[in-house]
Amino acid sequence: MAFLLRRLVFYMAAFIAAATTNFFLPRLMPGDPVQIMFSSAGTELPPESLQALKLTFGFVDGPLWQQYLTYLGSIFTGDLGRSIKYFPLPVTSVLGHALIWTVGLMGTATIVSFALGTFLGIVAAWRRGSKFDVVVSVGAIFATSVPAVVTSLIVLFIFGFTLGWFPNGYAADPSLDPAFSLQYIGSLAYHGILPMVTLCTVLIGGFTVTMRNNMINLLGEDYIVMARAKGLSDRHVMLWYAARNALLPTVSSLAIAIGTILGGSLVTEVVYNYPGLGNILYQAILARDYPVIQGQLLIMTATMLIANFIVDVSYVLLDPRLKGA
Amino acid sequence: MKNLLQNRKALIGLVIIAFIVFVAIAAPLLTQYDPAARTGRPHQAPSLDHILGTTRIGQDVFARLIYGARTSLAVGFGAGLLITLVGTALGIISGYRGGKTDEIISFFTNMVLVVPNLPLLLVLAAFIGQASPLVIALILGATSWAWGARVTRAETLSVKQKDFVKSAEMMGEPQWRIMTFEIFPNVISIVGINFIGSVIFAIITEATLEFLGLGDPRAISWGTMLYNAQKASALSVGAWWDILTPCFALAFLGIGMSLLNFAVDEIANPRLRTGNHLKRWSLLVRSGEGRL
Repeated sequence: MAFLLRRLVFYMAAFIAAATTNFFLPRLMPGDPVQIMFSSAGTELPPESLQALKLTFGFVDGPLWQQYLTYLGSIFTGDLGRSIKYFPLPVTSVLGHALIWTVGLMGTATIVSFALGTFLGIVAAWRRGSKFDVVVSVGAIFATSVPAVVTSLIVLFIFGFTLGWFPNGYAADPSLDPAFSLQYIGSLAYHGILPMVTLCTVLIGGFTVTMRNNMINLLGEDYIVMARAKGLSDRHVMLWYAARNALLPTVSSLAIAIGTILGGSLVTEVVYNYPGLGNILYQAILARDYPVIQGQLLIMTATMLIANFIVDVSYVLLDPRLKGA
Repeated sequence: MKNLLQNRKALIGLVIIAFIVFVAIAAPLLTQYDPAARTGRPHQAPSLDHILGTTRIGQDVFARLIYGARTSLAVGFGAGLLITLVGTALGIISGYRGGKTDEIISFFTNMVLVVPNLPLLLVLAAFIGQASPLVIALILGATSWAWGARVTRAETLSVKQKDFVKSAEMMGEPQWRIMTFEIFPNVISIVGINFIGSVIFAIITEATLEFLGLGDPRAISWGTMLYNAQKASALSVGAWWDILTPCFALAFLGIGMSLLNFAVDEIANPRLRTGNHLKRWSLLVRSGEGRL
């Protein structure tokens, strides 16, 4: 419990660090940052939005520390300011809606690729040096080394444009109304296949390589030799002696991978015009909608910290040594 | 180095990278076109005149590809070097000094590790405005050192216990000297892996930032090629050469770097080799084959 509590305090500090970056960045800009942001947005904006923009970045009367505290206060009460592009919509509602799509896409892809990648890694390590191992290892290298942008564009080109098997964008058929109907869910799944395949391709290599390397390092341990010497079946030794222990460091590498997963999913969404955070962010960058760009950093940091915490909890559950600590 | 040349993966990786470096350096000899000038009609398909076709505004795609390789390589290796430098220095200092220094550096390292990298870079790049490749390299160096610092620190902790470090301490060598001449040479394999990994990361991230519209659209690099092609809806209008060219170039470079990375990893950690080393284990593992 103490372990989890310590992690929670640390995550809180990390979140405040991200918020602090957000607070100071506009203040480091030369000139009057709000005016610059306001004019670079380009489009006609109502004067109220200038005021809203000032509030978003904590430009209130008073000394700097007071501005900082006001800013932190508004963030912790869930107020991220108002979007310039979608004025007067608050940033939280613009991003909150998109977050659901991103988490859905990301979560499913992570679970699928983690399960599949770990399994491939186990088998590859167990049959090290075999054809299977070579194919899996080399395939994993290729999959991880190609940028997510490239993977998504190539997958889209082949299956979306050339073969025409799958739709080229959107999360569902735009002519359908969102409803809990078989038709709508079918359309969701149909539109989700390409982004999902792309994201899994980007992610699976990393999980496979980590698991394979962890397994191989463990195969030299005495307790594996012992298990074999006892005459246990291969499958039993592989899964319950080697894989079980190799899984632990893999889970902690999952925590570090979450940042990559987020990045990959942002890019995939832009390419497939998927209505998640990535796409909102892309539109915000094009429109220089600074409050939304800053808000996404906070929301994604929070998402990542929550995911990290889930990994911490599962680590405690998987590793009995941590229970007492 | 000798080990590196004997490893087949490393060799293929090195050949790929050498090829790209050669093409980048020899760019003016390989094409007569100026990569920024309009030299043809918009979106011409590949032909003898323009072997990879033209872009939306009539620039030669092949010329942009080979001149763009310069930017991608320069940013990749420049930022990679910077990331490695910062990460190694912080890792060795915090691992060797220990105590308060270690606590402070480790705290910041762990903090940077849990803040998602791409969104942070997006915010930085957005405030800088159309970031040139040089600026992108600098902000990558400033934000991406955490992983390297962590692994270097762990390695330093174990090297620190060795006798030769103890004896250097007893002879009264200054701390900076112990860190640079005693510790650093002994963590060099970790530094190498960190460097190659950082180069891959920098190349991918530069392309991603530019693709998302945060780069300088006039710069000639593979990322801006992707950005301009995507903005011109190259796939929907059937101009596949415009968008697939930088795609394959990035994939090719990424694969070359990763093969090298994998090979260095294998050399540093012999158990990972797929070849027929460690006969005993191959035999043991093989006996399990086909009985899954």
